[in-house]
Amino acid sequence: MKRCAAILMLLAMPAFAGWQFSPAVEAGAAKDKKVFHHLESANRKGVAESDGRVAVAWEDDRTGEPRCWLAVREKAAPAFSGPQALSAGECYEPVAQGMGKGRFVAAWEEDGAVWVKQAGKGKALKLSREEAAHITLARADEGTLYAAWAEMAGNFKRIMLARLTLEANGLKAEYSVPLEDALPIDDQAYPALAVSADGGVTAVWEDRRKKHTEMLAAHSADGKTFTAPYRLIDRPQVRTMDLGAGMGSMRPVLTACGPGCLVALWLDKRDFLSGYDVYAAFSHDGGRSFGRNLKVQDSFGDNIAQWHPAVAASHGGRVVAAWDDERDGTADIWLSDWDGKAFSDDIAVPGASGPGVQSDPVILLDDSGTLHVAWLEKTDAGGTRLKYASAVWKD
Amino acid sequence: MIDFLNLRTLLTAFLLCIAAGAWADPPPNYPFVSYDKGLKMAKETGKPIFLYFGRYGCAWCDHTNKQSFSSAELKKMYPEHFVLVYVDAESGKRLRLPSGERITEAELGTRFKAFATPLFVYLTPQGQEIFKAPGFKTVQDFKDFDRYVVEGHYKTQTLLEFLARK
Repeated sequence: MKRCAAILMLLAMPAFAGWQFSPAVEAGAAKDKKVFHHLESANRKGVAESDGRVAVAWEDDRTGEPRCWLAVREKAAPAFSGPQALSAGECYEPVAQGMGKGRFVAAWEEDGAVWVKQAGKGKALKLSREEAAHITLARADEGTLYAAWAEMAGNFKRIMLARLTLEANGLKAEYSVPLEDALPIDDQAYPALAVSADGGVTAVWEDRRKKHTEMLAAHSADGKTFTAPYRLIDRPQVRTMDLGAGMGSMRPVLTACGPGCLVALWLDKRDFLSGYDVYAAFSHDGGRSFGRNLKVQDSFGDNIAQWHPAVAASHGGRVVAAWDDERDGTADIWLSDWDGKAFSDDIAVPGASGPGVQSDPVILLDDSGTLHVAWLEKTDAGGTRLKYASAVWKD
Repeated sequence: MIDFLNLRTLLTAFLLCIAAGAWADPPPNYPFVSYDKGLKMAKETGKPIFLYFGRYGCAWCDHTNKQSFSSAELKKMYPEHFVLVYVDAESGKRLRLPSGERITEAELGTRFKAFATPLFVYLTPQGQEIFKAPGFKTVQDFKDFDRYVVEGHYKTQTLLEFLARK
């Protein structure tokens, strides 16, 4: 009888499959100083992993001016190293890319140009010739990666791409090309890059050529010549009184999620009365096309604005979206998992939700399936702390 | 045939006109400045701030510009009474807050919860928010808001109370 009761109790217990988070730790602390950290970057690539080492890249004003920094947590170490300066000048929107064997490459905007450097090795390479910003990185293989950024060409910025290789003495730029030969007729910004298993390169970016900000994508089979840009937004481009030249959308993020699989997220204002929602689209042909647009956040987030979307995916097809919103009164970090058909109900990240303001997530899924999350926490003094936690999925 | 061609030409011209006016910028002939410059000017002049959050392609911003900000009365009144600030709520353009923090215009939109555009925010000369008014507003609305702020009614009553007693 007792055995039957125990079995019934076990059957009645809810399944607690989900992310199990480590306690949050602080990275990039500036002792006794009110500092403003920022994790904004093209494709929100502020956290990276390489053979168990974890790097976080951010900008803050601890020196009195915006500077970019990188901190590394060694494998199994409890804490991050002190900040390593990436820049000497005024710097914004740094990104980090793990390259395997414990190596990282960082890129950033400094004094109106974009730069890239292997962390701890060689000199920084300036990739831009004209005024440039919004640089991001994507790894192709252990020795190769791509950078994309927005650079002035005529009156507006356009998206550029460079292929980089890791050499014995640091990084080398093989070439750089614009995604389109023609001069831009309006601004292009915030590119997000992903490399498919077949080596194809896909970029998604903010584009204003249609007199509103929309998401465009282009694909290259050889990493050099791109298709004509195509729209990610699946609503027809119609001028309406509500939406003007077109609905608002901004800050795309993109990652590879398996053979031929790419997933893009962005902030989307098609429901213009309740602010931006997080929308997603999948590609199942390596970036040659994207499918229908899917709302990511659950219904509890529908009537408030979402901000700062980020996406992470594993090559096994696990996809995690993150953002912040104020549905519970103050900004919290929320996650949603893709189950193959839809995004799950939203989950508040422990340590990044509850009282106080927690915002601006950056996320990464590494090859072991560990989820890495970094975010900003507002301090009582009005500055910020940079926080980090990792999570593993428990069935 | 000639009539048909003329009609087609007229229609094309009409559509082009619509398209040309489809994007929103600050209304013409107003001295709008950036947020950080506006905060500095407000402190120097003691004028309150009129902060306009727009969006590239925003039809209601365009409509407000054409229907309301075309008013000769507002063209005289608003630059006299306010420091005028325009922010593109989706832009990556950078600005410096009074705290010293550097953020983008889009991030400023996040902090002001500019979830819909246009959003009009009235601020004290010290940069503190008085009230926010989202969506299309008429010339009379803007004149009422002007009185509420410039005559200092906001110090003793809410905007709704002020409008009810008007």
